[in-house]
Amino acid sequence: GKVLVFPMEGSHWLSIRDVVRELHARGHQAVVLAPEVTVHIKEEDFFTLQTYPVPYTKEEYRHHLLGHLQNFFETEFSLKLVLQTMAAVNNVSTFYVRSCRGLLHNTALIQSLNSSSFDVVLTDPFFPCGAVLAMYLRVPAVFFLQSMLCELEFEATNSPNPSSYIPRLLTLNSDHMSFLDRVKNMLYPVPWMYLCHVNYGSLARLASDLLQREVSVVEILRHASVWLLRKDFVFHYPRPFMPNMVFIGGINCANRKPLSQEFEAYVNASGEHGIVVFSLGSMVSEIPEKKAMEIAEALGRIPQTLLWRYTGTRPSNLAKNTILVKWLPQNDLLGHPKARAFITHSGSHGIYEGICNGVPMVMMPLFGDQMDNAKRMETRGAGVTLNVLEMTADDLENALKTVINNKSYKENIMRLSSLHKDRPIEPLDLAVFWVEYVMRHKGAPHLRPAAHDLTWYQYHSLDVIGFLLAIVLTVVFIVYKSCAYGCRKCFGGKGRVKKSHKSKTH
Amino acid sequence: GKLLVVPMDGSHWFTMQMVVEKLLPKGHEVVVVVPEVSWQLGKPLNFTVKTYSVSHTQEDLNREFKFFIDSQWKTQQESGVLPLLTSPAQGFFELLFSHCRSLFKDKKLVEYLKQSSFDAVFLDPFDVCGLTVAKYFSLPSVVFSRGIFCHYLEEGSQCPSPPSYVPRPILKLTDTMTFKERVWNLLSYMGEHAFCPSFFKTATDIASEVLQTPVTMTDLFSPVSVWLLRTDFTLELPRPVMPNVIHIGGINCHQRKPVSKEFEAYVNASGEHGIVVFSLGSMVSEIPEKKAMEIAEALGRIPQTLLWRYTGTRPSNLAKNTILVKWLPQNDLLGHPKARAFITHSGSHGIYEGICNGVPMVMMPLFGDQMDNAKRMETRGAGVTLNVLEMTADDLENALKTVINNKSYKENIMRLSSLHKDRPIEPLDLAVFWVEYVMRHKGAPHLRPAAHDLTWYQYHSLDVIGFLLAIVLTVVFIVYKSCAYGCRKCFGGKGRVKKSHKSKTH
Repeated sequence: GKVLVFPMEGSHWLSIRDVVRELHARGHQAVVLAPEVTVHIKEEDFFTLQTYPVPYTKEEYRHHLLGHLQNFFETEFSLKLVLQTMAAVNNVSTFYVRSCRGLLHNTALIQSLNSSSFDVVLTDPFFPCGAVLAMYLRVPAVFFLQSMLCELEFEATNSPNPSSYIPRLLTLNSDHMSFLDRVKNMLYPVPWMYLCHVNYGSLARLASDLLQREVSVVEILRHASVWLLRKDFVFHYPRPFMPNMVFIGGINCANRKPLSQEFEAYVNASGEHGIVVFSLGSMVSEIPEKKAMEIAEALGRIPQTLLWRYTGTRPSNLAKNTILVKWLPQNDLLGHPKARAFITHSGSHGIYEGICNGVPMVMMPLFGDQMDNAKRMETRGAGVTLNVLEMTADDLENALKTVINNKSYKENIMRLSSLHKDRPIEPLDLAVFWVEYVMRHKGAPHLRPAAHDLTWYQYHSLDVIGFLLAIVLTVVFIVYKSCAYGCRKCFGGKGRVKKSHKSKTH
Repeated sequence: GKLLVVPMDGSHWFTMQMVVEKLLPKGHEVVVVVPEVSWQLGKPLNFTVKTYSVSHTQEDLNREFKFFIDSQWKTQQESGVLPLLTSPAQGFFELLFSHCRSLFKDKKLVEYLKQSSFDAVFLDPFDVCGLTVAKYFSLPSVVFSRGIFCHYLEEGSQCPSPPSYVPRPILKLTDTMTFKERVWNLLSYMGEHAFCPSFFKTATDIASEVLQTPVTMTDLFSPVSVWLLRTDFTLELPRPVMPNVIHIGGINCHQRKPVSKEFEAYVNASGEHGIVVFSLGSMVSEIPEKKAMEIAEALGRIPQTLLWRYTGTRPSNLAKNTILVKWLPQNDLLGHPKARAFITHSGSHGIYEGICNGVPMVMMPLFGDQMDNAKRMETRGAGVTLNVLEMTADDLENALKTVINNKSYKENIMRLSSLHKDRPIEPLDLAVFWVEYVMRHKGAPHLRPAAHDLTWYQYHSLDVIGFLLAIVLTVVFIVYKSCAYGCRKCFGGKGRVKKSHKSKTH
């Protein structure tokens, strides 16, 4: 079959790439559609890269997409940060809309895509331009994602989402909440809904123009036949979901390769103390100098060999046990028996690689769901969270020594690891199966819940409840009135007697 | 590991036995606990069976069940769970529930079970006893069932089930309902909450007695670790699900054997017209004579060869094309390319064998979920439903001719069949996996939603909403009062002037 892949830039691309490779291996043709200007997406031999021109340069792109990351090392979590984030999101979103408009109005390209008659569109809907494209081309879509802004994935699939025990994104709540936690859980998403409205509103307008009917972002998202979600209930709290949601958390740590000679040498040289892997993800390239010095100092105080993925300027106080690299095979290193700990920004990829390989973590969450991820691993006793703004060299040193020397951390992460890896089918196979399924059956209409056709008050049966209440009230009213009437009839004489009596006394 | 199995009698046991037999070669020790008196459980098995004596005889059991079945042939079937709860079924259920008292009376058996230290209980919840056993021995449990009676799946797994689009059982509704149907559906849901506890009173009384603490059905269901439900979304309508609810519909039709010589001869003799398989399931042995005559007449009017599994008296007007047999290899016959149609009581086993082999159906639902099964297949255009009480020979003849000659029925069932069989893992393997999973990890606490620990008003956030409303109202009240006070201050003079003016006029 023919698969059109519309990925998201950044780390999101890295795991969808594995699926594309596997699809290719099973004899499907994949075309990856990407803007001319990209950071991570490069031509590879298992797909055809189809680029489209965009109205910006690489520098602009880097600046807009990655520029705001720097803030997280410098600003306290405050209203200012929220406003900054909003501004950044807004910025990024205008960017994507421009890029999306460039694509959808590119008649020549659209025509050529149309004529190649794809069987399925595989896309990351974080910014759902690919979904609009799929609607426009009338091709069924499979979504591949970790989560969406405002948790739109649950609204769009019509999954029940009670705020009483499902912690909202970024609240740091667990699934057991006190009364005040639950109040926070209910109120917290409200401003974010505004943000989502801003973020996706312009795309919905673009889609409405294109499809010549009014569509909301939720309707765009409902085009998906199957949602492949990079979540797993070892890590996420159990919650209701819909039959067309498939959980493939841990997909990225499936294939581990032996280490290259360079890294093998580092690991062997580490001796009995082993190694610690340190990476803040592919998006963070630089850390403010003062912070970097603090970190370097702490790293120098532990006996393990540190492998630090860092592309910024080398801190002057870097100790001998710390090796700076531009890139490291994170999953392969974590899978090595000598890996003792993992310092991570707790992005979902890193967390799953840590769980899957059973390596305790020191977490420095920076933004987005990373805070929640870190909180969850901490409550499960599998890692220690540091506040990246406030932490001192001592804090980092203590955290590292704790997770390495206190055996409970290793035990807890190993328990999580064994639960996580105990599954009837590998997530990569599952993902590929569902993409193929949608290709074979031209969508999955039998998995579409009838809830999509109901209004919100119908969904919650408010009209039915209102109707029943009305009946009950009418009956009560009639019974009451007739009783009252009956009473008046029976005791009517008395009443009148009293009245006439009264009038007499006047 | 060691597994305790508490099965349910009748056709329920057939598929459960398949799972148990698949567990044996994996080196697990299996102990099955069965009552002395039963239809299917007494058959020799190649694993340890422990029997306990019961206070009734086989005749009692047969009589109660016959009374129940006969009533289904006589009375007009009403839809909904409620009529079932008040029907003659009660006597049969009382008998089933009483098994549990007998089991726990057998002190030797209880002691043996206590000593055996099982890893998990694998149970059919139909007679509730398995749940009581699991709770009594504090063992993690895996439930195996077609569906759960009443609203106990919703309560036991905390799976939301919005009555606006999820039809309640036995109402013959689909997921697209009119306003009237939604009213009926909601009322039925409320009715289940009101009446089901009394239906299960005998069972909960026994459980309370055994556990020496008063328990409800919800208390018995909520510790369940994993639910294996014998349905899937080609039969079931899409609805919310929970992570520990696993769908294994179609588990019974994967192993097909070639048909025996006797049946092969029948099939070959049928010529180009092929065969029709007719069975009302293992539980219905006799049909009222008049009805049987009607049926026999209709069967004689079609050109196909009829294979009718029937143990009652031979109808006098039986035509030549109809062969009465005491037993037939249903799945194997349906799998034969010459199978043209399937006349079934639409029990879930039969329905899945029909779907899996792609044979259009004529359905005569009798009780329980059969009504719903028939309705679903009918709306999907894969079969015709007959009302067993009202149908005439003409109705049956027409129905058979329709499903055989109208190609759309065959096409629809083939489409369902291809959807049903397209799955990443075979249901039997999936069932075995989850039983072993619960044994390995001593339950699945990480799949237990926190909703279990909330009261109903907390679950629906009514307390939070009330609190927020109270705040809003207080603020509004204070603002209003202070405005009013401010106004009085400002315009106070005037007011007083007016008043004094008034008093003057007096």
